[in-house]
Amino acid sequence: MEKSNGQNKEMTAAESLALITETLNNSRKDILNNSSKYFVLWGCLLTVMSLVIYMLWHFTGSPKWNFLWFAMPIGYPIAAVMGRQDKGRPQNEIGRILGYIWTVFGVFSICTSVIAVYAVPMHVTLLIVVMLGIAESISGAVLKNWPVIIAGFILGVGGAVVAVLMKSEAQLLLFALGGVLLVATGLTIKFQNK
Amino acid sequence: MFPKLDPILHSELRLAVMSILIGVDEADFTYLKKQTGATSGNLSVQIDKLMAARYITVEKGFKGKVPHTTCKITTTGQEAFNKYVESLKEYLSANK
Repeated sequence: MEKSNGQNKEMTAAESLALITETLNNSRKDILNNSSKYFVLWGCLLTVMSLVIYMLWHFTGSPKWNFLWFAMPIGYPIAAVMGRQDKGRPQNEIGRILGYIWTVFGVFSICTSVIAVYAVPMHVTLLIVVMLGIAESISGAVLKNWPVIIAGFILGVGGAVVAVLMKSEAQLLLFALGGVLLVATGLTIKFQNK
Repeated sequence: MFPKLDPILHSELRLAVMSILIGVDEADFTYLKKQTGATSGNLSVQIDKLMAARYITVEKGFKGKVPHTTCKITTTGQEAFNKYVESLKEYLSANK
């Protein structure tokens, strides 16, 4: 059905239902399509950071490069700048739930990492990879997208096993994979809602 | 008996505006204009009608120096919209 183009004509019942369905779908797609860029941003950042730390650790032999993880919040100002383009674009329930999921993941990851480094030593890679998988799977469930649900499951459950078996340095490659999955999630959302 | 369709909603542009607002927290005038493809004048008139029926609330203000109008669906509007959809479904199933 065409857009109203300023017309205000009376419609049949079938036309009305078609208009409601189309308008709701278009609005939903527009909002979700826009939210996909944040998945791509965080995915790229995670992948690049993981690979940089992996290489620095590998070539210098020092695990201290892991402190670079605390630079990850640089993604927030970048996201804020990207958000300026969203001026006037409304938010819907799905976009808000996705925002909550990933904010909670971010806060839990940062707090767990700080505690692991400064207070109680723990297998932080295992914890974060499981949380990353859970956040990814829940996002998939919210988006009603099976590939994203399955990718989250593989990352979380498979990643937990691999995190225990791999040596510390190589565990960073798991995070790089997690980043790639985030980018893939963003692209899936984008193409699903074109 | 088939219920009478709500005349406020049974109009293309007003229905399009309500269909957008039902799925979002709130939407500004520019977004509604872009999504409906309506002219500013016609959209303003239809928004006023929806507001007069208490189906939406309209907040007018400024973002910096630019005028900014935000529309939000009310509970009355949600109920009217749901009732309208139910009436349409009844009508269509009765005419099958």
